[in-house]
Amino acid sequence: MSADIGRVRIRVPSSIKPGDTVRVRVLVIHPMEIVQRKDGQPVDKNYHFIDRVVVTYLDKEIGQFETTQSISENPFFSFSLKATQAGVLKVTFLDTHGAKYEGTTDIKFS
Amino acid sequence: MERSANHTHVTRRALLRTLGALGLGGLIARSAGAPRPALAAGNLASLGPEESVDATMKRLFGGRAIKDGASAMKLELPLIAENGAVVPMSVEVTAPQTPQSYVKAIYIVSDKNRRPLNAKFNLTPAMGQPYVGTNLRLGESTPVRAIAEMNDGTLLQAKRDVKVTIGGCGG
Repeated sequence: MSADIGRVRIRVPSSIKPGDTVRVRVLVIHPMEIVQRKDGQPVDKNYHFIDRVVVTYLDKEIGQFETTQSISENPFFSFSLKATQAGVLKVTFLDTHGAKYEGTTDIKFS
Repeated sequence: MERSANHTHVTRRALLRTLGALGLGGLIARSAGAPRPALAAGNLASLGPEESVDATMKRLFGGRAIKDGASAMKLELPLIAENGAVVPMSVEVTAPQTPQSYVKAIYIVSDKNRRPLNAKFNLTPAMGQPYVGTNLRLGESTPVRAIAEMNDGTLLQAKRDVKVTIGGCGG
């Protein structure tokens, strides 16, 4: 399981026309650690979860999500994208332990 | 508050102020694209405080008026969630994103979670349609609200109740 941490999958519709607004779905494998409690008090430690997601299209940042540990394990996100040009869509995940996970997909028209 | 055990003579007010400053400092450093502080980015102080939903709303929006956005947006959630650890959610604001009028951010707030703010989605006009979806963790049955902040500062809110059979936040 832990070997898979940071595996990113991006899905876009198979046929896109220029100017279409499409739904993009992204999944990343990550534990999204939850806060532990001891005697009713939260334990202070460096919890391991994704706290930032950055969406880049055509080298321009088009969205940024601030996430907390109240997002499920192996988080899934979906969002819209206006497909103006063929190019690369990149989604970057940053976690609290300083790791960075990236996934890319090509937006192409058919 | 959680760390007060380490500091014997810290008032609640001073501590909260420090926590606030820490959080703000982190935000600025990050938005400038500076390298993120590697140490303890996930410690309790950098999480949202454990607070009531009213406190969260006040922290996020101050005293700004929040309009009922039920007709302008669609919040999709299950009526009954068997497993609070994975509750699928999506929000769509029906008006398209245009450079003149767009949704700047969508906040997801679960009233009864210990830290009510689940996520904040910052959007841009390049996304075409203000739509986001994700899976939430809910600790118990709770109202869930989605608040959309327009580029002119207008706030719209939609709210749904979710019944959670098994809580998703551990203990």
